[in-house]
Amino acid sequence: MKKIESKALNVYYGDTRAVKDISLQVEKNTVLALIGPSGCGKSTFLRCINRMNDIIPGTRIEGELLIDGEPVYQNKYDVTTLRRKVGMVFQKSNPFPKTIFENIAYGLRINGIKDKYEIEKKVESSLKATALWDEVKDRLHQSAIGFSGGQQQRLCIARTIAIQPEIILMDEPASALDPISTQKIEELIHELKNDYTIIIVTHNMQQAARVSDYTAFFYMGDLVELNKTEKIFTKPDLEMTEKYITGKFG
Amino acid sequence: MITHLEHEIENIKRKVFTMTDAAIEAINDSIDALMTLDDKLAAKVIQGDTRIDKLEIQIDDDCVRTLVTQQPAASDLRLILSFLKINTDLERIADIAANIAKEAIRLEGRPRVTTTGDIPAMAATCVNMIKTAFEAMTTRDVSMAAEIISVDREVDELNIQLYRELFAMMGDNPQIMPQALGLIMVAKSLERIGDHAKNIAERVIYYIEGVDIRKENKDHSDNK
Repeated sequence: MKKIESKALNVYYGDTRAVKDISLQVEKNTVLALIGPSGCGKSTFLRCINRMNDIIPGTRIEGELLIDGEPVYQNKYDVTTLRRKVGMVFQKSNPFPKTIFENIAYGLRINGIKDKYEIEKKVESSLKATALWDEVKDRLHQSAIGFSGGQQQRLCIARTIAIQPEIILMDEPASALDPISTQKIEELIHELKNDYTIIIVTHNMQQAARVSDYTAFFYMGDLVELNKTEKIFTKPDLEMTEKYITGKFG
Repeated sequence: MITHLEHEIENIKRKVFTMTDAAIEAINDSIDALMTLDDKLAAKVIQGDTRIDKLEIQIDDDCVRTLVTQQPAASDLRLILSFLKINTDLERIADIAANIAKEAIRLEGRPRVTTTGDIPAMAATCVNMIKTAFEAMTTRDVSMAAEIISVDREVDELNIQLYRELFAMMGDNPQIMPQALGLIMVAKSLERIGDHAKNIAERVIYYIEGVDIRKENKDHSDNK
């Protein structure tokens, strides 16, 4: 089932066309990895999905982006609803300077959940889903700032999934982490796929191969090739993709 | 928590073990078909080979996908590389069993030739070699795997004995030539199955210890 669809999407930063006529579809409960050299438009494209580019002055979007068939760039589309539906995890983990519990409870409260018991249950289930519960259950009311980078990132993912989005966008979520923490995040992505549709931007091609079902190769704003990940990394359709993934250019 | 890579490896292992059971069944059935000249059983072995060929392709695909997407290292990498090679050996074993079954069909209706060399016992030795190799893999027992390599020499010896005996019998009685040639082919086939079982044992040793025993044996013989 189609969860996200982009139709001839263009993004301009002033006069610069950063994303060019991107048309693609993302199936529900799959992981799509976006790869390509710096400046290829993959992060810009990712940020279109929850309209994060709206806050960048001089940005102009052309074309269509649909989630569940609904065009999210229509004026009547509520951006707050969109961002509730589409969670995001960034390269640098950004926990709030609050307790572990509050990091997750905050989003729930501003989304209208007042019942203390329900909040507690959701905090627990989110921490369990991100394999953090056993590590933090005895210090839920301590600050999250003392966490390791990997724990902070998993806390941010827990915070994202607590409000039960349908799509999770990840912009290089493990690029600042050590190999063990990276592995935990990658295993988490495999688990989360059962409940969410995930798009991940990564500079690490091996990571794209490990975590995704589909891979899209971007170059200079163009979508060069989108294929099953296994296909991209064994026999891509285009020579340009082959050259990039074998390190011959880019 | 089971990692995605562990999950993939378990999946491949399950298919390799299924293929092993199917290959062993093919050997046993082909020899039974030969000894009882049961053409229905022989036909079953020949038809079953298609399923084993399909499994081989699936295992190859799974191994390549796991190598590409999970980038295994160390023992995980050695295990998958071993599976890739073992997979080919198992497929060849099943092909050989199908050839034995075809021989059983060809010999149907001809008078039986009795030899002192024991073809069912030779087949049982081959089956035991394969089973032992997989037990060595499961228990990570290098000495168990290494023993298979010496058993292979016994299988080679049995083949030579049978060949000499059948060759002499043909000299005494040219009438039995079709049956005797058939049995020579079967004995040679079993000897080839023994070689494949030995290959599997070598891959098990590579998986456990990271040592290519073929290279060590070659170095040893080069130094002689």
